[in-house]
Amino acid sequence: MDTTFFDRELKRGSAELLILALLEQRQRHGYEISQLIEQRSEGTITFHVASLYPTLYRLEDKGLIEGRWVEKPGQRRRRYYRLTAAGRKVLASHRSSWQSFVAALNRVAGIGNV
Amino acid sequence: MIDWRTRLRSACDAHNRSLDADVLEELSQHAASAYDGLLARGRSPREAQLEIEGLIAQWARDESLRRAPRHRPAPEPPPDGAAGPFAGIPHDLRYALRLLRREPGPVATAVLTMALGIGAATALFSVLYGVLLKPLPWHEPERLVRLEERRGGRPGRIPWTVSNGTYLAWRGHSTTVEDVGGWMSITSTLGGTNDPERIRAARLTPSLFGVLRARPAAGRLFVDQDATARQPTVVILAHGLHQRRFGGAADVIGRTIQLDDVTMTVVGVMPADFAFPDPETQLWVPAHITPVTLDGGKRVSVQIFGAMARVRPGVTADQVAAEATARALTGADIGSAGLAMFGSTGAVTVIAAPALDVAIREVRPAIRVMFAAVILLLVTAVASVTTVLLARATQRRREMTVRAALGAGAGRLMRQWFVESLLIGAAGGTLGLLLAAILLRVLPGVVPADFPRLADVAFDWRAASFAAAVTLLSSLVCGLVPAAQTRRLDLAQSLADDGLAPIGVSARTAIARTRAALMVAQVAVACVLLVGAGLLGRSLLALIQIDRGYDPANLLTTRLTLPQRSTFGQVADRLQRIQQRLAQVPDVVHAGFGNGLPLVSAGGLSGFTMPSPRDPSIVIQVQSLHRTVSPSYFAAMKLRLVSGRLISDSDTASSQPVLVVNRAFAAQYLGSNPIGQRLPYAMYNRKDWEVVGVVEDMKQEGLEIAAFTSTPHTPQPEMFSSYRQLESMFVPSVMLVLRTTGDPAALAPSLRTIVREEAPSLVVDSVMTMEDRLMSSLARPRTYAFVLGGFALFALAIAGVGLFGVLTYGVAQRTREIGVRTALGARTADVVALVVRQGMVMTAAGLVIGLGTAALAVRWLSTVLYGVNPHDPATFLTVALALAAVAAIACAAPARRAARIDPLKALRSS
Repeated sequence: MDTTFFDRELKRGSAELLILALLEQRQRHGYEISQLIEQRSEGTITFHVASLYPTLYRLEDKGLIEGRWVEKPGQRRRRYYRLTAAGRKVLASHRSSWQSFVAALNRVAGIGNV
Repeated sequence: MIDWRTRLRSACDAHNRSLDADVLEELSQHAASAYDGLLARGRSPREAQLEIEGLIAQWARDESLRRAPRHRPAPEPPPDGAAGPFAGIPHDLRYALRLLRREPGPVATAVLTMALGIGAATALFSVLYGVLLKPLPWHEPERLVRLEERRGGRPGRIPWTVSNGTYLAWRGHSTTVEDVGGWMSITSTLGGTNDPERIRAARLTPSLFGVLRARPAAGRLFVDQDATARQPTVVILAHGLHQRRFGGAADVIGRTIQLDDVTMTVVGVMPADFAFPDPETQLWVPAHITPVTLDGGKRVSVQIFGAMARVRPGVTADQVAAEATARALTGADIGSAGLAMFGSTGAVTVIAAPALDVAIREVRPAIRVMFAAVILLLVTAVASVTTVLLARATQRRREMTVRAALGAGAGRLMRQWFVESLLIGAAGGTLGLLLAAILLRVLPGVVPADFPRLADVAFDWRAASFAAAVTLLSSLVCGLVPAAQTRRLDLAQSLADDGLAPIGVSARTAIARTRAALMVAQVAVACVLLVGAGLLGRSLLALIQIDRGYDPANLLTTRLTLPQRSTFGQVADRLQRIQQRLAQVPDVVHAGFGNGLPLVSAGGLSGFTMPSPRDPSIVIQVQSLHRTVSPSYFAAMKLRLVSGRLISDSDTASSQPVLVVNRAFAAQYLGSNPIGQRLPYAMYNRKDWEVVGVVEDMKQEGLEIAAFTSTPHTPQPEMFSSYRQLESMFVPSVMLVLRTTGDPAALAPSLRTIVREEAPSLVVDSVMTMEDRLMSSLARPRTYAFVLGGFALFALAIAGVGLFGVLTYGVAQRTREIGVRTALGARTADVVALVVRQGMVMTAAGLVIGLGTAALAVRWLSTVLYGVNPHDPATFLTVALALAAVAAIACAAPARRAARIDPLKALRSS
């Protein structure tokens, strides 16, 4: 198997999953999302910041997230993203497919849960 | 400020792209935030700029970032709960609880400190309200006034009393008051089927019930006919007595009881909440007010009693006083009795004051002082808790900064602090309320029973409201300081610190300065309270150690109540036998008796006129105590003889009547050669008394000098005569005194046995050592000293613990600095000196402020001090030394920890 392709697809899939998951609890803006990914993944997922916004826009085009400008008093306006109903469904299905994927890997290759 | 937008646009132009305006704005904002974040993480501006420009270049190259133009919806309110300033509070609460749970130690200390401060303040507020502010329990109490008669401007021996002459002249002839009533407190023997017991009772004029607008619970009140006879035959019971002696029986009206060997009929029972003049009074009898002159002017009878009047609506106390004075002047002349009672035969005047004011006058200054002290205590508790919160603020600076960078508004962050402080405050306030309830429950056991209005102190909604208000205020103040600090977050500096202070900065950050200021405040408050407690303690000691003229140690005393209208002659034999037998008991050195004893009873009062020894043409008025004693009384009391001789067994009924006077009497009335002078004093048909000796002054104390007072204990003139020479004198009770070699209390059983054997009809009342009587008379100053002492110790503990905490924290903060210094050659002593200096500088500043404030504040304390200068240098010095010692101890552990810092580890830990 071409590991580069696998890597890329895996990463792309995981990036989308990450973003959807981060938006599940509350709305966030782009910089916040990038910081959180960096913090929470503790570096195991190297996420190119440059690819964040394209991913966001892609998800928005697909209707999984929705962005809008918000102006808070005393601050510049920022663009906040939130999960749509469709996005929640996709997130749930992403999760379950990841879980079965990992389970299958487990059965096949003996990779334990990390 | 780098303009990322322009750079982004130029980068895009360089790649021949154009970005949508929205995208441009979003990306440039990200760039700005990322740049700030890099700076915050310690990168240099140049590095950060390069990195962001790299990011921009990537974006400029990315195809997918070009987007279709989109419309801009109107700005919407903030995302996380837009319901106004209270949105997100549940989240803040949960977060705060989580954080507080992580550090149980400091949080528990803070809660306990708040609890103690709030609890003490609430308890004292209840006392303040119940005693000083709450209206008297009578109908329209503001219309009640107390009256005081004065002659020649001098009040009587017992303050706030009037004489029968004034009362009779005024009552029934008044336009300013509806009515006036009088009362006298007495102690009576209640006999009957049970053992006789001595109870506190009161004689009331029937009009007094009307003045108070009291109603009976059963039966009736007194009417005027009840008081016409000299010996009344009816009584009214208090609720407590009715329950105790009669089991609350419904048919008690009409039953008879034995009171002082007289049969009395019960005509009424008062409700449980009626207490006059004090809660201990269990029974009332009608007071017969005698006219001043009897037997056609041959005899003068003067009575002194308390008087209260109900003022007509719209009338002032001054108007009442003026009318009473005018009426009193029409009363009969009381002659030399006036001299005895008032020390003057001058014109009579009457003054009136609101009843509440008179009841609380004595204790008002002390209660105010206590309340001020407890407020200071609360201040120090708040300062202590604020210090704890401030320490947490410093530790969480990073968290706050990141939250701010992520978009949390300053208001939101500040609110977090208030939520935390309110949580601590609420916990502390609840515990404090519990503490206040407990304190108020034990109050009657601790405070002397004669404290005015003690029964009116209650733990009610007012206490709860006060506690709530104080809790809220304290919590807000506690939260204000860290919240204000959060407001002024300096992004770069706070994150650059990495939680450790840069080298060379010890107390220069705003937070550290605030913490030092709070510490100084705590030390200052502890100082003020310690000075106050020290002065009160010394005052108490001075009161205990006054030279009383007699020796109160090793002295057993008791009071024997004689049957009504007993004379000395009737009981002389029995008393002599008792005295002889007591003198033979082992360990008894001397035994004596008399009709008066300091702290118990004055004996008698005398007033007469005599020619002045210095110039016989001048007539002087003599006012003196008169005590009739057995010759061994002087030895038993260890009353020192100054000149001449004491009364002896050779002074009998047939020999020359002799008097021994005290120094004050001799100085005031007898001039330089008192011995041998004759006094034209007529008493029980014996005139022309000869002065044979002068003894030292005795301090009488007791009723007249009940509590703290700043008037010096001026000795009263006093005369002593032998009981053998006044055998027809009426004596209601006799005091026995025993001087012992060992513990006087051990002889109480022997005393009782001997009295019971020799004189079974005499009721033994209050067998106490003189020292116990003394301590009991000093109960109030003792209570005040202990209460303030407790506050002071608490404040000292807070300050000590606080200093320890601040220094420990400071050492932790400055670990790197100390490591560097040690690596550069500083010795252990230098490091220790660093810590100790920080601690002692704060202590010194606190001492200066505290002692200075104390020096100003003791002015208010001077009304409750006795025998000690308010600016007593010894007290101030001791407080300063004590605080310095505590501070030194608080510095010890942190200094030791600082000394043990391993420079390698310290430097590595960055």
